[in-house]
Amino acid sequence: MDIRAGVQAAGLLAVTAALAAVGVGCQSANDEPAASGTLRITASKPLGKTLGPNGEEPTPASALRLTNKEIARVRAGGYTAALVWHEQSDFTTALDEGVRDSFRKLGIRVVAETSANFDAAKQKSDVETIAAKHPSVLLTLPVDPVVTASAYKAVAAQGTKIVLLSSIPNGMEYGRDYVTMVTDDLFQMGKRAADALAAAIGDKGTIAYFFHDANHYVTNQRDQAFLRTITNSYPDIEVVAKAGIADPNRAQEVAGATLVRHPDLSGAYVMFAQPPGEGVLAALRANGNSSTKLVTLDLDEPLALDMAKGGHTSALIIDRPYELGHAMAIAAGYGLLSKPAPPFITGPAITVTRENLAQAYQESLHRSAPKSILDALGR
Amino acid sequence: MATSDRAWPPVRLQVVDPQRFVVYGVFVVVFVFFAATLHDDGFLTQTNLLNIVRQTTPITIMAVGVVFVLSAGEIDLSLGAVVALSALVTADLLQDHSAVLAVGAGLAVGVAVGVANGLFVTALVLPSFLVTFASLAVVTGLARSVTDLRSVAVENRDFAAIFGSGDVGPVPGLAFWALGATAVGHFLLRYSRFGAHVLAIGDNAQAARATGIRVDRVRLLVFVLSATSAAVAGILYAGRLQGATYTLGEQDLLTVIAAVVIGGTRLFGGEGSVIGALVGSLLMGVLTNGLVLWGFSASEQLIAQGTLLLVAISLTLRGQRADG
Repeated sequence: MDIRAGVQAAGLLAVTAALAAVGVGCQSANDEPAASGTLRITASKPLGKTLGPNGEEPTPASALRLTNKEIARVRAGGYTAALVWHEQSDFTTALDEGVRDSFRKLGIRVVAETSANFDAAKQKSDVETIAAKHPSVLLTLPVDPVVTASAYKAVAAQGTKIVLLSSIPNGMEYGRDYVTMVTDDLFQMGKRAADALAAAIGDKGTIAYFFHDANHYVTNQRDQAFLRTITNSYPDIEVVAKAGIADPNRAQEVAGATLVRHPDLSGAYVMFAQPPGEGVLAALRANGNSSTKLVTLDLDEPLALDMAKGGHTSALIIDRPYELGHAMAIAAGYGLLSKPAPPFITGPAITVTRENLAQAYQESLHRSAPKSILDALGR
Repeated sequence: MATSDRAWPPVRLQVVDPQRFVVYGVFVVVFVFFAATLHDDGFLTQTNLLNIVRQTTPITIMAVGVVFVLSAGEIDLSLGAVVALSALVTADLLQDHSAVLAVGAGLAVGVAVGVANGLFVTALVLPSFLVTFASLAVVTGLARSVTDLRSVAVENRDFAAIFGSGDVGPVPGLAFWALGATAVGHFLLRYSRFGAHVLAIGDNAQAARATGIRVDRVRLLVFVLSATSAAVAGILYAGRLQGATYTLGEQDLLTVIAAVVIGGTRLFGGEGSVIGALVGSLLMGVLTNGLVLWGFSASEQLIAQGTLLLVAISLTLRGQRADG
């Protein structure tokens, strides 16, 4: 409880500067080469950009602003909110805190919160149940754009303002059914992974590409951005294995088979950290491999510890869920004031190496790095 | 089924045990508690109460099938996977074919899996836990591959209206499905020769065989009934959600078993209650609904739900232990 309270207190302090922080983050994500200590990463030329599910042009989260007058109007409204999340994790904890800290500033009271554990049917039930409380706003990450759509449409029809994260339910129209969709700068994340892996293997060699073999907007965009960047910007790097992972829990088996055919890989990209990144790391260790460099996405303790100890993991590309939560909360304010928000908003990404690992925990999750990692870093 | 004219009056002498009715008391207490504490938060609104019925119907339908499986001393772990495959097959076929064909194919998924499970258990004399664990993997793989992990939308309005999204006056159509399945299940278990045989096998399979009961045939039918109930649940999910995805039903198994056992069905066979399973299912739905409306965080909901379930299970299973 103390740790949570501390994080919340830190979050409260941070929220006052959050808009500026988002702005800085976006600039870093889009414009600046990520030069990180001993691993010198040079940013390649961007070969694309993150587009919304319907081809919407991106707007950085830093562009969302409410004036003091607008904040006062929201505060005077006595509004309520419901949070309908897809799962429980470090990501949603930081996201939730970003939302709640910003809502406190806006005087919006959270009256219900649910987690679907990736069960689309449960999420539909959650939305129906929450509708009984008639919240003014609903912030959510829809688990499945098809089977949850009818529930979200019904809530929108009763006047609740909906702010979406990373997915748009089928048939929902911007402006009519939802305020905006917020997500990570997905292309930037894939591109950063490519630049980091290229730097880790000296811009040449053979790599394996472990991608998410599923129809998923977020992971598909990141994976494709990685592949596009690594194949076009690094001609001396050859992708010798493209292995789709449909079940993230079975990544170790897929990686093990790949390593039998390609035991001398220079590097490997994995679609996300937990559990597939951990699975590929386990496969590398099980095969007695000590040279293959690994780059994946998300801040995951076992992989971060491996990186802190100078193991296989060279870089982790992470997002800033606290800032995503803040952006969603501000967007909710837009909806309540009937102020048009951009249709598609992206949050920034960070490239994490051993050198900025401890700081990254604070930046991304708004909490201290675990003791195991601080010990491994000698702090 | 083995229902015959001679099955009436009941072939099994019913002994009224007050402990069997504890689940009804627990349900009333929980409902009244939420009604009293959440009356300003929409709990007692017609919409919310009917939503609870809608949300629990697939669980209720599966629970009816599981009552028979548990009563026969078996287990069926493949239920959730059958839900997903049945829903996906139905939704996929609805895009280019008639609703009759799509529903028939969805039901066929259940019958086929049930027959396969039953044959492995009876013909090869394998434990149902392992057989259905294996079929869970096979059917899950099929559900993932049948549409290549894509979700499938259902745009057939007539199908959706009949199978989950429609209402009859103010009452959701799903309520009729739940009541119908419960009535059929209750009749089969209590008033048919088949039900008496299921309970006899669950109580003592060797003794049942010695009295001339065709144990393997009854066991096979129990697995067909269980998987078919899961297929019906999958079809109703497809209608209610107006779409299907491979994750449907994945997390339903434990909820279904909890509802059935709280409802008075003995986990290791010999005793079952379909009406108890219906109430157990509604109890699970009311708990989830009330805890969300209370404003608990997701973690707090799990803790409270687990604690309340423990209390309910302790109360309802005391009688079963006393019976030995």
